Amino acid sequence: MKFVTQDALRVWLDQLAQEVDLVAPRDVEGHVLYRPVASSAGVLFEYQRPEMSAKDYLFPATEVLLQIEQRGKEMTLEEIVPERKQVLFGLRPCDAHGAAVIDALFLQQEPVDAAYRRQRERTTMVGLACPRMWEGCFCTSVGGAPDAADHLDLLLREVDGGYAVQVVTEKGAALLAGLELQEKKGEPPPSQADGEIVPVAPPQAWRTLFEDEMWQRHGERCLSCRICTYVCPACRCFDVVDRVTSVQPGLTCSERIRVWDACTSTNYRRAAGGHNSRPTKPGRIRNRFFCKFCYYPEDFGPLGCVGCGRCIVSCPVDIDITEVMRGVAERSDG
Amino acid sequence: MSGNGSNPMRPFIGRLAGIRDVATGIRLFQVEMAETEGQAAAAGYRPGQFAFLSAFGAGEAPFGLASGRGPYLEFAVSALGHVTHTLHGLEVGDPVGVRGPLGNWFPMEEIKGRNVVILGGGIGGAPLRPVIHTILDNRDDYGHLTILWAARSPDLLVFTDEFDEWRAAPDTEFHVTVDRGDENWSGNVGLITQLLEQVAPQIDNTVTITCGPPIMIHFAFLTQQKLGFTPQQMLTTLEARMHCGIGKCGRCNMGEKFVCIDGPVFWQYEIKEFLEGFL
Repeated sequence: MKFVTQDALRVWLDQLAQEVDLVAPRDVEGHVLYRPVASSAGVLFEYQRPEMSAKDYLFPATEVLLQIEQRGKEMTLEEIVPERKQVLFGLRPCDAHGAAVIDALFLQQEPVDAAYRRQRERTTMVGLACPRMWEGCFCTSVGGAPDAADHLDLLLREVDGGYAVQVVTEKGAALLAGLELQEKKGEPPPSQADGEIVPVAPPQAWRTLFEDEMWQRHGERCLSCRICTYVCPACRCFDVVDRVTSVQPGLTCSERIRVWDACTSTNYRRAAGGHNSRPTKPGRIRNRFFCKFCYYPEDFGPLGCVGCGRCIVSCPVDIDITEVMRGVAERSDG
Repeated sequence: MSGNGSNPMRPFIGRLAGIRDVATGIRLFQVEMAETEGQAAAAGYRPGQFAFLSAFGAGEAPFGLASGRGPYLEFAVSALGHVTHTLHGLEVGDPVGVRGPLGNWFPMEEIKGRNVVILGGGIGGAPLRPVIHTILDNRDDYGHLTILWAARSPDLLVFTDEFDEWRAAPDTEFHVTVDRGDENWSGNVGLITQLLEQVAPQIDNTVTITCGPPIMIHFAFLTQQKLGFTPQQMLTTLEARMHCGIGKCGRCNMGEKFVCIDGPVFWQYEIKEFLEGFL
């Protein structure tokens, strides 16, 4: 196996931080979050699951799609093109899996989402395997694993004295210049993938339960707070709005921005004139779960869930996606 | 297809070539595309498609295109929210943005030779105007045309300036009704479903095209079924809030279907298969 010491890894990260936009897990006032870093100082190497996914760095929560300038009756529209490369370091495999889920719609379905493609192309994803599964995790139920390399460019695994480095893609290989690698005998031990396996019913089984009473039961508890979609690495709904940034005589500048949206919000389906075709919480929460396990796989291929468990630990009223998955599997069996 | 070559979220720039009121609070905007690529996209327009219209600085919103016979893309806009109020404040010559035309269209080729019943409710009449024009301009290609036009009140009837032409067209009957009349109204008062029952159009070899608020579509379908129309004879175009128009943003899903890319035009037998209703 390829091996790197922690010291050599730090040297490499310090160098990367000079050359690219480097994002890594950090402790932010007691919360572990992926954040931009200027050097290896402050980068966490031992952490559980960051509280937010890394989605924000590929599909930003607020993203300027166009700079709009109006001079008199003349318009100029300019797209924002990020110039620097970006490296996401210390990604958990579920977060790379989340990017792959969004790729299936934004990149693999025509027309390609231009802003997302630019972010994706400039980004290299360096994973750090989870040594074991954490509270709420169920990645092994939905095609993932705590040490899955599938959707990453490089995968690091902690071993005695440093890290084993697995090169997954050419993009990953291209990043290795400056990393002092050694060859060592043996292979890194697999992570402890001992989480309970939650059953995933096929889309057809979900369809038979569209009118089931369980949506009423789960939906009644929902507060429509939207945290589940906010923390989700695979949720991709967005809204598009304009905001005026400056007004001078003869020149108005504004931005067209894309922001994350949530199908669990109260007025998600409210149209002009006031009609709302999904006016109840049970209807909205059903839509979210159906999107993940029925619509998304039917329309775009992958499940819309990577088993990170963030929605479970974040939900203020303990709505548990695995309880829903079990409920569907049990009912559809009968 | 939509948008601007490499980026479908980037609008084409257009200019307002004409603005006129077509009902109380509903204004028709004629847009001339300024860029070659936008002109090519607009030339591919087919009745039933929709497009996003931008009032830059305020935002964009989708509208079923109401285009007439001229060279312009035409949008019937009711001032209901921030974007539409801003649009109502624009003047001829002002720049706007257009993404589209988007979505599918009415199968005008496939329904040649058949009788057509058109049911338009309020601003829902907008995307039906180009259907009516297509039939009237190719009159021999279609059978009998029945137009049922409705609104909540007389001042909300759209395209009243075209009523005379529609009435006088060969092999065409035109009926209009309002939910509530006023002191100047001497015509029908009642719902479009009641009017439909009175008119009782021929069923054989007929296709119906309904557009209006969801509640109207729902009951118009029921009445049509009661009269004997089958789901294979009934077309509609659905509205939904949407933010991209290209199947990405998630807003307009009805079950696994997206109004923007699977529609907005649907046969009733397709809608019946939706896991989630439009109402």
